[in-house]
Amino acid sequence: MSDVITLAHGSGGRKTSELIANMFKKNLGNEFFTADDAAVMPRPEGRIAMSTDGFIVSPWEFPGGNIGKLSICGTVNDLACMGAKPLYLTCSYVIEEGFPIEDLEKIAEAMGETARKAGVKIVAGDTKVAGKGQVDKVFITTAGVGVIEDGVNLSGANAKPGDKIIVTGDVGRHGTCILLARDEYGIEADVKSDCAPLWDAVEAVLAVCPEMHVIRDATRGGVGTVLYEICDQSGVGIDVDSEAVPVTPEVRGVTGMLGLEPLYLACEGTMVMMCPAEYADKVVEALKNTEHAKGAAIIGEVTSENQGRVVMTTGIGGKTYLPQPGNELLPRIC
Amino acid sequence: MSESFDARSYLENYDGPDFRIMEVCGTHTHEIFRQGIRRILSPKIRLISGPGCPVCVTPVSFIDEAVYLALEKGCTITTFGDLVRVPGSKTSLAGARAKGALVKVVYSPMDAVKYASAHKEEQVVFLSVGFETTTPSDVMAVKKAMNDGLDNFSILTANKTMPGAYEAMGHSCDAFLYPGHVHAITGTQICKDMCEKGVSGVIAGFTGDELLTALAIAAKKHSEGKPFFVNCYPRVVKDEGAPVAVAMVDKFMQHCDAEWRGIGTIPMSGMELKDEYAAFDARKKFAIPDQKTEYKTACRCGDVLQGKILPKECPLFGKACNPDHPVGACMVSSEGACSAFYMYGGDL
Amino acid sequence: MCVGLSAKVISVKDGVAIVDASGAKREVSAELLEDLEPGEYVMVHAGAAIAKITDDDKSETDKLKEEYLK
Repeated sequence: MSDVITLAHGSGGRKTSELIANMFKKNLGNEFFTADDAAVMPRPEGRIAMSTDGFIVSPWEFPGGNIGKLSICGTVNDLACMGAKPLYLTCSYVIEEGFPIEDLEKIAEAMGETARKAGVKIVAGDTKVAGKGQVDKVFITTAGVGVIEDGVNLSGANAKPGDKIIVTGDVGRHGTCILLARDEYGIEADVKSDCAPLWDAVEAVLAVCPEMHVIRDATRGGVGTVLYEICDQSGVGIDVDSEAVPVTPEVRGVTGMLGLEPLYLACEGTMVMMCPAEYADKVVEALKNTEHAKGAAIIGEVTSENQGRVVMTTGIGGKTYLPQPGNELLPRIC
Repeated sequence: MSESFDARSYLENYDGPDFRIMEVCGTHTHEIFRQGIRRILSPKIRLISGPGCPVCVTPVSFIDEAVYLALEKGCTITTFGDLVRVPGSKTSLAGARAKGALVKVVYSPMDAVKYASAHKEEQVVFLSVGFETTTPSDVMAVKKAMNDGLDNFSILTANKTMPGAYEAMGHSCDAFLYPGHVHAITGTQICKDMCEKGVSGVIAGFTGDELLTALAIAAKKHSEGKPFFVNCYPRVVKDEGAPVAVAMVDKFMQHCDAEWRGIGTIPMSGMELKDEYAAFDARKKFAIPDQKTEYKTACRCGDVLQGKILPKECPLFGKACNPDHPVGACMVSSEGACSAFYMYGGDL
Repeated sequence: MCVGLSAKVISVKDGVAIVDASGAKREVSAELLEDLEPGEYVMVHAGAAIAKITDDDKSETDKLKEEYLK
């Protein structure tokens, strides 16, 4: 193979076949991934869930992961949020002409490894090459199918007053990590993306809490945006104890320097869950026994008051609304 | 919470004479909302959000000047993030960026100089807004550019100083919550002089506990009936301030009249580069034509800034004027009184 | 108007200090303060250390409360 991706790699000819064989089949292959036009799989028992997501992160590689890992986690977690065990994924690449093959290999490797860990099979893929400057290095779109067991019924519209609100780990780490990786503000800190597939965490939670109401992953827009979405969808209010929200010191340091709110920074391996109060402790305990949710914590509860608003109880015992999700994140100096 | 109990319960149960205290600093406004302090206060204590956000009081014509430099002169604009969305008479810098202008957000003025030295082919202009706290950093940037022999860096000044505002606003409140970081630079003498003239105040820090303590001390002193001044932030603010910073600013800059959006012109309340540094003064370097325009709306920012009305009493608040489409000064930065009321919901 | 952050000085060289705020490190100007030493705490604003400080805000407010709010 040549050292960089050329337009020929996307032409559908010999170079395309080479790329698929040497890179994608090697890293992502399984019994369903064939040379045919569509993957054919047995029909699963139960309702199926389907989701798709596009990934355009810059830089494509960051502490704690890369766009490949992210593209698997994103769709796996979207399915998991509906209580669906992820089964099959497809992936579609748009690669910029000139992108190093070696880097593409890293991405494919990360996808393969993450998919195996998450117990999901990549059954189909597509590769297009765009001219130099037409895309930023590499864009990936994944779509996934999962199966939901009977009795599981999760939705953002299901939150009930009295439900406890749980986060599966510390917040704002992915967003902070990407901010740092872009190196626009001269700040250094040891912050790794929380990017992780969370089906095992969801499975563990559903096992101890059959009445789970809401699970949502706090990706773009962070936990704050999720809380406002749920308020809207369920027609409830939310109380959050600001001191209970887990934030690592490094994330606090960086967001402090830039005047940003960690609750509004993206997570890629942290979910928000809402369940009846009597299950909350069991859920947290179950989460803590999984690989990626050791920092799980109860941060607040659903209320019938202040419909549509998130109310924060502050460190000094004051109460204030969490500002509504807003505009592009700009460092605040004054 | 127990540690802050004393100050907190004092403020909750305050039953002395009515007390109007103006926080002059936008960061205070922001933190007071973020910590939920308004709801703690007894109804006898009223917080007025004063003019203390340099972005909010930056006049429309300044944004027009920056947009002119970006679009007409092809300059690269470097700025603190807060200014990007502030509307000018025609467009904001975000709007200019959409039309192809280069607008780069930086963390500090020094980063703008670094950018200029790495991009010698661009004319880089830093938007120099801020009060006494920020002005030394702006001046250091000019000094660095001068020492490095850069001829592609200049600053567009709208720097302001607080004492004029204290004088102009003194009648709007019973006491000031003085901005801790301004006085870290300027020291405490100004506040003592104000006290001599009968204008009371306390210098406050920014944590929840620091704010509660400063407010409680101010309320207690107010109930004693005599003009007062207390430095409630001595871990940062020393009586002498930061003399090196003051001397550096004096070397490079001189006072000038300045327009405060929503308030009007306050004599000698602005800072501009001295003539000998004209090469670094974007206004002179690019001979920017006068951008003063009539800019009339039903916006009542002036009354908000002077504590005459609450933001929600303005006819535009939350309707024509909101953080996505700010009309007036107080809605433009997250530290403006209207924006803080809007985001944090003033009614809670 | 002036977001400040307290940070610990890690090193100082030629008017530039590296500061650390709970693990976030950044270069800031040390030109505004005289004789800044590693280990000291400063208040940082807009890329400059603007004041030497004591890092303990709690003991300070306790002292103020003791003096004024008894």
